[in-house]
Amino acid sequence: MKKSKLLYVALLGLMVLLLAACSGDDNANENANSGKNNDGNSNDNGELSGEVEFMTISLLPTFEEYLNNLKEEFESQHPNVTVTINDVPYDQVEQIILTSASSGDLPDVMNLNTEFVKKIGALGALVDMEKEAADVKDTFFEGLWNTAKVNDGVYALPWYTTTSGLIYNPEILEAAGFSEPPTTFEEAWEMSKVIKEKTGAYGEIVQGDMHLLFPKNGIQILNEDSTAAAFNTPEAVELWTNLKEYYDEGLYELDVMLNQVSMAELYATEKVAWWATGPQLFRQVNDLSPEVYEKSVGGAQLEGKAGLQHANPMNIAVSAKSDSLDAAIAFAKFVTNAENQLAFGKEANVLPPVVEAANDEFFDQGLDSDDPAERGRYFAAQALEDAVNMSPPHENVSQIIKAIQEAFQEVLLNDMDVQDALDMAEEQVNSVLD
Amino acid sequence: MYKARHAWGFLAIPLILLSLFTFIPAVAAFVLSFTNYNVFTPIEFLGLENYIKAFQDKSFQKAIVNTFYYWILVTPALVVLPIFVAILVNQKLRGIKVFRLIYYFPVLVSVVITAILWKWMFAKEGIVNYILSFFGVEPFGWLLDTATVMPALAFVTIWQGFGYYMLFYLAALQGVPKDLYEAAELDGANFWKKHLHITIPMIKPMIFFVAVISTMGAFKEFTLMLTMTDGGPLNASTTVVLLVFQEAFQNLDMGYASAISFILFAVILIITLINQRLLDKRD
Repeated sequence: MKKSKLLYVALLGLMVLLLAACSGDDNANENANSGKNNDGNSNDNGELSGEVEFMTISLLPTFEEYLNNLKEEFESQHPNVTVTINDVPYDQVEQIILTSASSGDLPDVMNLNTEFVKKIGALGALVDMEKEAADVKDTFFEGLWNTAKVNDGVYALPWYTTTSGLIYNPEILEAAGFSEPPTTFEEAWEMSKVIKEKTGAYGEIVQGDMHLLFPKNGIQILNEDSTAAAFNTPEAVELWTNLKEYYDEGLYELDVMLNQVSMAELYATEKVAWWATGPQLFRQVNDLSPEVYEKSVGGAQLEGKAGLQHANPMNIAVSAKSDSLDAAIAFAKFVTNAENQLAFGKEANVLPPVVEAANDEFFDQGLDSDDPAERGRYFAAQALEDAVNMSPPHENVSQIIKAIQEAFQEVLLNDMDVQDALDMAEEQVNSVLD
Repeated sequence: MYKARHAWGFLAIPLILLSLFTFIPAVAAFVLSFTNYNVFTPIEFLGLENYIKAFQDKSFQKAIVNTFYYWILVTPALVVLPIFVAILVNQKLRGIKVFRLIYYFPVLVSVVITAILWKWMFAKEGIVNYILSFFGVEPFGWLLDTATVMPALAFVTIWQGFGYYMLFYLAALQGVPKDLYEAAELDGANFWKKHLHITIPMIKPMIFFVAVISTMGAFKEFTLMLTMTDGGPLNASTTVVLLVFQEAFQNLDMGYASAISFILFAVILIITLINQRLLDKRD
């Protein structure tokens, strides 16, 4: 009896200890919200000091030289700052960040994808760049600056981005009687019918980012202040009704949207006439089938009714709890300045979200190139000005996207009425916005 | 006393490791299940809110149904099928060790590799449909249909797992006295009767053991679903553990994920206790 009492006391004690441990440091959290560290890390002369850990995603060893140059140059400009680069695998980033955060040891500067920035930025984990990097705001394309916007804050600086280009197979188009690829979604679906009938290949395919078809066609996913779903409109009914018709006509399958088959494989095996994606991914076709890549041509992304292009930048965020906050913010600005973005854009075949870098003549080249990736990059670069990140500006972005995609799948797989599906999605989205 | 000290000495290291990596995290997760823990913001005590939410959450209800469905598909097959295979590879034939290795081989392949391979084979233009086309079956998206996705995943689990359980049965079979079979043969028992009346009763404890661990395995399955379908289509293959992963690491709702985990723990515990009671009764 005595022993069991002792055991209960021990268990209760452990629970209290754990709760206390989990309650975190409220002062630190206040720092997070204010975006300032009490200790500071500038000396009386305003010189930066401290250690900055820079976490990158799958960039080593390919871009080792570039990153080392970046580090050395920053350190030479700020002799009291030491930068360490820590590269992590792409598929482990979120777990690593969560583990680091739970032990209060987030990297000072982080390379993060947009959705994750929105999730943790809204929870106060990241510095608000709208406040801390306001001086460089105008150097970015306006649409891209707002990529990491949640509530009233912008929680990261866009580092490098891609907008889509189009890689197409002229032989399939020719066999169907076309000499040019489509320029709009409307045209693409009309051509798809002919291509399917005459060649058996697919044309346009609804992919995993189907929720973006709303903003591309002028349908807002959320209202202005992100407090309610805004996509349940007659235009959305028309869009989904058309997509359901195309599905029933066999113009596309669900396997790409459900991530069962990759577009690269479909394109490389000539089962699809074109593929709209970031030009840096065109090389995947070359890896899978050099013959198909050889005969392919790069072109411009399809336009929806809104005339806007989606961009999905990789971002640079700063931990709000960084011990070297000033140095970390300065390093984030340094990494994303025009000069460094241009250098990285040239090296990695990606696009810079900074206007000055994007205006470099390097990005005006490629129109006459025979290489699909180079020609695709030209068109993608031209689209930067009108590019915006279209994913919903809310921390529950994953649930919002899931609700829309599942409602659409209900229409295709279970023949749910389009209006009912949109009502269902609207209800679900509103429930996660509360 | 001397012996007890030595025993504790040997037990100390595993006990410390188990405490650090199993017991303490489990207690921590239990505590967190009553909170809104999301890693980044200060923790708040919610009482039973997460548990109440779980029982009202349609996603959780669906995940529970899916998990039981998967268990029903997988466990009986993994309990019964390996018995036959073990009896076959227990025969004294030339080259039987090669067969044992072949049947065991899928166990050696990583689950992620298995998932990628089968995802490719179940594709509409994959090898499964290619083989079925010889029998006049139209190409079908096995992982794209809400009705077939779970049976397809269960098939992969059975394919990969039966060699593992075969090994348990093989060990049990080798403990069955040969003279029982010889006596049965003298009485004129055929192959089926021998195994029905001798083998099965003799390996019954092992059958219950396999039932328990394959049940726990089925309730914990996660990698296959994450890699092959990510729970789709329409959550038809979202199991409870996959939901825990999604809530914890995608939605950052660690408190709710912990609550779901403990409900699953209770379910597994109840099933294991029922199994145990049945085993005790039989004994």
